[in-house]
Amino acid sequence: MKTFDYTVKDELGIHARPAGLLVKQISGVKSSVTIAVKAKDRSADAKRLMAVMKMAVKQGDVVTVTIEGEDEDIVAPQIEQFFKDNF
Amino acid sequence: MGIFSKLFRNESAPADTLVSPAAGRTIDLSEVPDPTFSEGILGQGIAIIPSGDVVYSPCDGTIDLMFDTGHAVNLISDAGAEILIHIGLETVSLKGRHFQTFMNTGDKVRKGDKLIGFERQAIADEGFNTVIPVVICNSEAYDGIMAETGKDVEPGDAIISLKKQGER
Repeated sequence: MKTFDYTVKDELGIHARPAGLLVKQISGVKSSVTIAVKAKDRSADAKRLMAVMKMAVKQGDVVTVTIEGEDEDIVAPQIEQFFKDNF
Repeated sequence: MGIFSKLFRNESAPADTLVSPAAGRTIDLSEVPDPTFSEGILGQGIAIIPSGDVVYSPCDGTIDLMFDTGHAVNLISDAGAEILIHIGLETVSLKGRHFQTFMNTGDKVRKGDKLIGFERQAIADEGFNTVIPVVICNSEAYDGIMAETGKDVEPGDAIISLKKQGER
């Protein structure tokens, strides 16, 4: 299992478009990917678009991303970079 | 029959048919000048160039998420379709201005219920495209998503039919 925390910098948070980009990015990953905002006691399967949108992640939220599966070593750094580049 | 009986003519439409949430003209999603929608990143669907100022529910279902900015709403139909209705492009940045929500996350809705009011002219005057993409977020659950494009529609007119996998 791989995990990282990321503090969202985008002032509009993870709304429809960024949620779509995230799900697209992760759809080919074999591992399960979960995003959670522990402070708000919310989590979601990052491959499910509606679930990601429902998280309503805001600027300043600390998102904990957990990657678990056979390709976790390869994809975890890629997903972390995606968060840095987009959120 | 209620006050919508005249407005919503397709009372007998089957459960896997979504009706137009707005008055206007339907176009193919690929014609929406935003790759998030035109490239199907959020799913397949249709878009409406609105001529009215209200978005109504396209089906019986539940509000899965009313965006607090009022510019979009997610619904799950009673038949299981996950639907995103997005009013205008880039309108998240209006941060709620020009939008008025009539329903909340978790509310049960009936086809034709008023969901969101929007000041179409004011949004356009601020330089935003007011096109309304209607996207099926769980498109992969369906074999066929047939959209009635290129039509002038009233709220309640059928615009999308969904064929589930395994159905003929």
